[in-house]
Amino acid sequence: MNKVITINLNGNAFQLEENAYEMLRTYLENAGRKLAGNPDQAEIIADIEQAIGDKCRASLGEYRTVVSLQAIETILGEMGPVDDGSAAAAGEAQPAGGNAGGPGAAAKPESTASASTAGDSSGPVKRLYRLPEGAMFAGVCNGLAAYFGVDVTFIRLLFVLLSFVTLGLGLGAYLVMMIIVPSARTSAEKSAAFGSPSTAQEFIRRAAEGYYEGMKEGMKNFRDKDAHREWKRRFKEDMRSWRRNFREEMRANAFRWHQRWAPPGPGLHPAFLLAWPLLALIRVLLTLAFVAVLLSLVFTGAVFGLLLPWGMPMWVGIVVLVIVFNALLWPFRWHRYACGYGCGGPHPLFGLVMLALCLWLADRYVPHVHEVLMDLPPFLHHAADSFRTWWNRH
Amino acid sequence: MSFDEKFTAIRKGLLEFLLLKIIAAEKVYAADILKQLEGTEFATQEGTLYPLLSKMRREGLLDYEWKESEAGPPRKYYQLTAKGREHLRVTTEYWQTISATVKNLGPRSGA
Repeated sequence: MNKVITINLNGNAFQLEENAYEMLRTYLENAGRKLAGNPDQAEIIADIEQAIGDKCRASLGEYRTVVSLQAIETILGEMGPVDDGSAAAAGEAQPAGGNAGGPGAAAKPESTASASTAGDSSGPVKRLYRLPEGAMFAGVCNGLAAYFGVDVTFIRLLFVLLSFVTLGLGLGAYLVMMIIVPSARTSAEKSAAFGSPSTAQEFIRRAAEGYYEGMKEGMKNFRDKDAHREWKRRFKEDMRSWRRNFREEMRANAFRWHQRWAPPGPGLHPAFLLAWPLLALIRVLLTLAFVAVLLSLVFTGAVFGLLLPWGMPMWVGIVVLVIVFNALLWPFRWHRYACGYGCGGPHPLFGLVMLALCLWLADRYVPHVHEVLMDLPPFLHHAADSFRTWWNRH
Repeated sequence: MSFDEKFTAIRKGLLEFLLLKIIAAEKVYAADILKQLEGTEFATQEGTLYPLLSKMRREGLLDYEWKESEAGPPRKYYQLTAKGREHLRVTTEYWQTISATVKNLGPRSGA
C-alpha cells in the first residue's frame, strides 16, 4: 500500500502512487529546464502533460483508479526525453562531418553521367561541357543537350541542318566548340554538365552557409539587384576556387585512382596506350573520309562516281553511310574507353595534330604526296565551282 | 556505432521535411502523426514531436485549430500554411537534387 498523490495534468486530475509521482515530477522538471528560453515553453509543456494524461487515462480502468509506477515508467519511456528545437537543427548539420569523405574520394573517374532525374533541374551550378560518353564524334552535341535539357538527337539534327544552311560554317562552329568546350571527365564535371551540384559535401556546405535560406525565403534578400549581383559574383568565385582545388586534388591522386578503378584487362594497357596516337590518326582520317563521302553523295548523287546500288533514294544512302561510319568507329571508341577515359583519354584535337604531322612528313619525304598536295588547291577550287553551280541550279 | 545509430542524425534532420509532407496530405492531430510514423524508420516520440511542431508553428509553416476529437477534450488539429506549402515545395526540390547527387557519385552501378 502506497501513498497516493493527486496531480493536475493540463486540467485533469489523476491519482498517482507516490514514487510514480516522483518520477513524473522529475521528467517534467527536466522538460521545463530543456525548454527554458523557448518562447513556447508553456504550450509545449501543456501538450506534453495532455499526452501523458491521455496515456494515464488509458492505463486506468473501472476498478483501477491509481496510476502505478510501472504505468508511469512505460508512459515516460514512450514519450521520450523532451527535445528542444535546437537539437534538431544541430542534428541536421551533423551529417556534414560524418558523411563527407572529401570531394576526391567518392568520385570515380569513369562514373556514369546518367543524371536522368537531374536533367531539367535548374541547380545553382550548370556548365557547358562536352560529354564524350555516348557521343558520335566529340560529344559537343551531347554536352549541349545536357546543358539545355533537351534530347541529344534534336541537337544533332539542328547542328547538321545548320551546317547545311550556313554552307559549312556550322561545321566550323562544331570544330571550335570541340576545341574550346572542355570535356567532362570527372564525375563532378559530369554532374555540373547536367546542372546539379556535384558533391554532397559542397551541398551541405552551401546549406550551412545559408545559401538555401535565401531560396526558401522566396529570394526576398535579392530584391535589391546589387545585392544579387554581389552574391552571384562571390558565389562564382567560390565555385571557381573550389573547382580549381578539386581538379588539383584529382590530378594529384590520378595514379592512385587508376590503380583502384582500372577497367578489366589491365594486362593490355601498355600496348593500348602505344596504339593510341596511331588510332587517333586513323580515326581522324575516317572522319574526313566520312565527310567527303557524305558531301559527294549529297551534291553529286553518287559516291565519287559510284552510283547507289538498287536505286536507293539519296536519304537512305546517307543513313547507310552514317551507320557504316559509326560501325567503323566502334573499335576506336572501345579503345578509348579501355584506356580509362576518366584518367585522360586522347583529346580529339590530338587526331588532327597527328594528321597534320603525318601530312607534313609525307610531304617532305614522299614526292608523290607532294604532287597531290600541290594539286589540292585547284582541286578544291574545282569542287567549290561545281558546288556553286549545283547551288545555283537549285 | 551500430548501423542504425549512424543514421540517427540523418533521420532527425529529415523529420521536419516528413512532418511537412504528412500535414500537407491532410489535417491531422499530433497523435495521428505519431501513428503514421510508427512502424517506419522515422518513428518518433512525443518528447521530440511537440517541440518540433511548436518550432515549425513559430516559423509560420503550420497552424492549428482546436477541434473536438472522438471521446475527449478538444485537441490541436494541424494544417500547413501557405508559407509551409512553399517551404515544402522548395525542400522537396532540394531533396531531389541531393538524391540525384547521391546517385551520381561513386561506382557506375549507381546505387
